Amino acid sequence: MLKFLPNNVIENSQKEFFISYTNPEQSMFGIIFIFPSFSLSEIIPRTMFSFSGSDRIQSQPDPKFKMILWLIIAGTRGGVNRAKILNLIKNNPMNANKIASVLNLDHKTVVHHVKILSKNDLVVKAQKEYAAEYHLTQIMKENQNVLEEIMKKIETK
Amino acid sequence: MVDFMLAAVISAFLNIGLLLVIIGTYVQNMRVIRSYYTSGLVLVASLLMLQNIVIVLFWFTLYMNDKALMMSADMLAHYLFAINVIQTIGLSVLVWITRR
Repeated sequence: MLKFLPNNVIENSQKEFFISYTNPEQSMFGIIFIFPSFSLSEIIPRTMFSFSGSDRIQSQPDPKFKMILWLIIAGTRGGVNRAKILNLIKNNPMNANKIASVLNLDHKTVVHHVKILSKNDLVVKAQKEYAAEYHLTQIMKENQNVLEEIMKKIETK
Repeated sequence: MVDFMLAAVISAFLNIGLLLVIIGTYVQNMRVIRSYYTSGLVLVASLLMLQNIVIVLFWFTLYMNDKALMMSADMLAHYLFAINVIQTIGLSVLVWITRR
């Protein structure tokens, strides 16, 4: 497009550009004009950036953790059983055999679910050779109300 | 020479198959847990499915009938192929996560 303009016009416009961006007052005005005066954290809540920040209120679930739990429970095959396992070992830790008998599931299925849950840092195995119990991890314990919310939806159905 | 258009359409069919698996799992979960999250997952997967159906329809109607359209479609075929193959890889990962 520039080549259709006469040379002196281009030179003038370049000179003006140079002047306006070397003059501190004008250039500052330009920057303010281009960037609106709000920050990103005003649009996206600050809790989105911190996984387990110390300033988080205990009663409010971590949105990021909520997303992970929802995805593991609602976005995978057998996710409902995973939610039931988490709900079962919430208060009293159990071993895989006992979980299987209480939930009326195959032992292999339970072992697989627990493996996935521990890979995602939701449950942890006790340091024991035989019949090791599984219990919830710290982050899962902190966000139990998310699990309760999901369990309520499962039970009402 | 590789027929990019055919490869793109094969990839689109593959995507439809993968999406069927994903939607199947999501619907199974939605029947137990009825919430905005589960229905949202089904909606997103269905829209992706619609996209791939449109690609297949594009191939059937535009590409098959007209010689001139075929020429111009061929020029764009490798882009369509790249888009579809990337989507196939992405959906394969999603299926792996969903079904394990």
